[in-house]
Amino acid sequence: MPDAFHVSSLVVHCRRERAAAIAAVLRDMDGMEVHGGVPEGKLVVTLETATEGDIVERLNQVQLLDGVLAATLVFHQFEPSHPRDSSTGSSSYGSLTP
Amino acid sequence: MRPRLLFTAMAVACLGAGALLAQDAPRLRGPDPFTREQAAPPMQRPITNDIRVKRNYPDQPPVIPHAIEGYALDLNANKCMSCHARRFTEQSQAPMISVTHYQDREGNTLGGLAPRRYACLACHVPQTEARPLVDNRFVDMDVLTEPERHSGGRSNR
Amino acid sequence: MDLSRRDLMKAQAAAAAAAAANVALPAEAQNITLGEELRLKWDKAPCRFCGTGCGVMVGVKDGRVVATHGDMRAEVNRGLNCVKGYFLSKIMYGADRLTRPLMRMRDGRFDKQGELQPVSWDQAFDTMAAHWKKVLKEKGPEAVGMFGSGQWTLWEGYAASKLMRAGFRSNNLDPNARHCMASAAVTFIRTFGMDEPMGCYDDFEHADAFVLWGSNMAEMHPILWTRVTDRRLSAEHVRIHTLSTFEHRTTDLSDAAVIFRPGSDLAILNYIANHIIQAGAVNRDFVGKHVNFRLANTDIGYGLRPEHVLEQRAQHAGDAQVSQAADFDAYARLVSEYTLDRAHELSGVPKSQLEALAKLYADPKTKVMSLWTMGFNQHVRGVWANHMIYNIHLLTGKISEPGNSPFSLTGQPSACGTAREVGTFSHRLPADMQVANPEHRKLAEQLWKIPEGLLPGKVGFHAVQQDRMLKDGKLNAYWIMCNNNLQTAPNTNNETYPGYRNLENLIVCSDPYPTVTAMAADIVLPTAMWVEKEGGYGNAERRTHFWHQLVDAPGEARSDLWQLMEFSKRFTTDEVWPAEILEKAPEYRGKSLFDALFRNGQVDRFPLSDMAPGYENRESKEYGFYVQKGLFEEYASFGRGHGHDLAPFDTYHEVRGLRWPVVDGKETRWRYREGLDPYVEKGTGIQFYGNPDKRANIMGAPYEPPAEAPDAEYDLWLVTGRVLEHWHSGSMTLRVPELYKAFPGAILFMHPEDAQKRGLRRGQEVRIASRRGEIRSRVETRGRNKVPRGVVFVPFFDASQLINKVTLDATDPISKQTDYKKCAVKVVAAMNQAGAPAPSEPDARGGPR
Repeated sequence: MPDAFHVSSLVVHCRRERAAAIAAVLRDMDGMEVHGGVPEGKLVVTLETATEGDIVERLNQVQLLDGVLAATLVFHQFEPSHPRDSSTGSSSYGSLTP
Repeated sequence: MRPRLLFTAMAVACLGAGALLAQDAPRLRGPDPFTREQAAPPMQRPITNDIRVKRNYPDQPPVIPHAIEGYALDLNANKCMSCHARRFTEQSQAPMISVTHYQDREGNTLGGLAPRRYACLACHVPQTEARPLVDNRFVDMDVLTEPERHSGGRSNR
Repeated sequence: MDLSRRDLMKAQAAAAAAAAANVALPAEAQNITLGEELRLKWDKAPCRFCGTGCGVMVGVKDGRVVATHGDMRAEVNRGLNCVKGYFLSKIMYGADRLTRPLMRMRDGRFDKQGELQPVSWDQAFDTMAAHWKKVLKEKGPEAVGMFGSGQWTLWEGYAASKLMRAGFRSNNLDPNARHCMASAAVTFIRTFGMDEPMGCYDDFEHADAFVLWGSNMAEMHPILWTRVTDRRLSAEHVRIHTLSTFEHRTTDLSDAAVIFRPGSDLAILNYIANHIIQAGAVNRDFVGKHVNFRLANTDIGYGLRPEHVLEQRAQHAGDAQVSQAADFDAYARLVSEYTLDRAHELSGVPKSQLEALAKLYADPKTKVMSLWTMGFNQHVRGVWANHMIYNIHLLTGKISEPGNSPFSLTGQPSACGTAREVGTFSHRLPADMQVANPEHRKLAEQLWKIPEGLLPGKVGFHAVQQDRMLKDGKLNAYWIMCNNNLQTAPNTNNETYPGYRNLENLIVCSDPYPTVTAMAADIVLPTAMWVEKEGGYGNAERRTHFWHQLVDAPGEARSDLWQLMEFSKRFTTDEVWPAEILEKAPEYRGKSLFDALFRNGQVDRFPLSDMAPGYENRESKEYGFYVQKGLFEEYASFGRGHGHDLAPFDTYHEVRGLRWPVVDGKETRWRYREGLDPYVEKGTGIQFYGNPDKRANIMGAPYEPPAEAPDAEYDLWLVTGRVLEHWHSGSMTLRVPELYKAFPGAILFMHPEDAQKRGLRRGQEVRIASRRGEIRSRVETRGRNKVPRGVVFVPFFDASQLINKVTLDATDPISKQTDYKKCAVKVVAAMNQAGAPAPSEPDARGGPR
């Protein structure tokens, strides 16, 4: 299913003093949004991608950033991005967490 | 004879329209009276139509829409992964295992299926054609969050 | 896909991550576009099902549970759930939820011969109270009883124990956990002087080998199994040996599947002990310092009715629990009979497998975690089997340290917490205290602030005995709460059902759903379940964990806690306590039991303002004090300072559970070892401080045969049990369509050759008959369970195939736990009325009722 829309979310544990800088780096990454957690050093991040492979790739990039202790995937959901599906009335969730 | 539940009263008390599929009631509540012998329900055919089933909520593991009889799932082989592993999905056209399945207990992302996710059938189960014995009134969150979408058509997607 | 859909998904994703990180998002981030209406309120709760105690996150919207997922922050499961856990969202929404009390009525009045009709709570309670008072007056406290549950919350079990023991002065209180792990609980006390495992789940990541004794973890403890398989697949040297009477999903993932004849596990265990001794692998230093030896009474019968020939014949049926002090040599002599040859003969297991197993235990460098559940506990020699596994771990000193761990798994979410720690067995009080011990009763009377001498010292009727006494008309007022005993008790046609319909008896059943048991009761009380009330559970690794009330129960359904407390209001001390006790303690006169037990200055000590804001709590709001906190804190006073320390109440609402003893705010992962357990004195290394001499007991016992074995007529072993998709009697999981459709009915697992020999085809309808009763089922010769020739397996979840009409009510004579794993049956084709075999496909069920 190449033509899909994936939403996932991560918790990025990082050193508190580096949290703001890391958040800035993440915001510049494609499809990534930081929603909060800077004061706690636990960034709440959502990620929009076209494929599942991109999620893994992006996760690996994040884990390699200086000051990042761990990046944990929490949530993943996808839907086909073309409208064929909606006419059937099914929302067809894709593969997700656990 | 053992007294029976007064169904009319009960229906008024706690059941909505079409809630109870009466002929299947003994399947849930036992024979009446208890000592009466019951015929065994028939064995049910597995669903093998390969049609994906909508999840009740995002974190529900999808059910398996195909037969799995005879699948090896032991220390030597995991038949599920021969279609659902990333590298085989192009030829199999099966959904890839969720990326969450690449993470170990400590949250590290691995190159493949995490060992803790190896027993696929602990979470993903096949389905049979059995008709539910009783309605379930679980409400999809989308109905609660987007009532206007569900009251009428869903053509705006 | 439209934009709002994207935003909805993103909002959900962000909310999930924020919940996992325990981070509060700024308001604008929470309300991405569609705003407030999108948001689910997420809270933690333990899973409602097994004793593993997984953490789940529960998503609530508009007063309904709309989603659940594994709690990433829960140490037990780190984000995983099994398929039952993932479907928790739907267990409360079966359309046939009971929402009003029902009572058997005729002509507008209660009549046991009448039909169940809706009544008010007052009508139900009035009828109950009148009967309870009549029975108490005419026959005394021993004629009232209650059958509770390892699924009760901590405070429900605690309130029930107070009401029964202190209120009605009866110890006829037992939990369904009796059927589940009484053998384990009793043996912990006999061996260590204290209940519950010394180790914890962290052992999974430290062990080099796992040995499973009668435990199909892949189906019954799937999340713990993920930790076992994770370890096995991540570390090359790790091995799994699984002992069972048939092959199943756990043996599929094991290095060795050791299939033995039912009951012969005793011989295998004694052989291993013998091997350890013969091979010089005894840890002499450990044994010398920390172990006593005892020999058990033998020929102890089978817990059947005393007039049964097997009991008459048994030498020690009357004093099965007694043992004699002995020494190492006497023990070594006893096990020396269990040579490799003898163990092989008795068990049918290849010698190579037996030797490999024995060497594993004997090797001082291999850390072994032994795990067991029902195959071991539901055993006419369940206590001995439990002893024998401790014997092996104690001989080698492989205990109380990471990875070396004899570990009893439990089947119910609060089997440890409510049944054992709170003490809802007929012989127990909180914190491992015993009703037969006058000192323990005295302490309980002080802590409960009730008159001295009030608590009865006679051990009450255990589960199977309750059924027998109901049938015999000696137990006449009976309240069944939070279990489905008519489906799950043994030999139900002959020993359980007759007592329920005995005209002298009033049977009350509290349940969320119309179960088999509820339908046979005289009064049915609709019950709030799981997150419809504030709760606390204790899991198999001593972890206590709490949840808040997150939604309201439907209709008039109310929690078991409310039902117990409300019922107590209908009795005064003058009605139920002896005059001579009230004479000595006149200040208790004229009080309601509610005031005497629950408004006692302790339970009602915490104001409503202590409750966390934002949560409903129906019981507390009704009574005007924080009921759950008061009950918990009073209960916790039993164990603090005595090795059972619990953290303050409020802590448990913050954390993902803590393993007791919690001392100075720290949980204890491994007990009895210096440096790991604060109760062990410096310089001692190990102290089994539950016993006065701080030593553990090795208990020598022989192999003895099962109560019943196949013969020419009843030629097959029947083993009963569970399946992954359904939990116990199925009252919750059968109402979840996905779980039902995954395993829609019980089936008879049979070896293909056994089927062929009887002319049976797969799917054909058959009769499964024992000397006690029979049911109809269908033959399965493939599938997940591969039974050997001569053995059949039937799960008990299906109310339309009540296999417990067939089982035998033999128990372990010491623990009184039923053996559901061994009786003799025959299987024949079911004939229709024309005398021909019934067809295998069409549905032969009766028409609408």
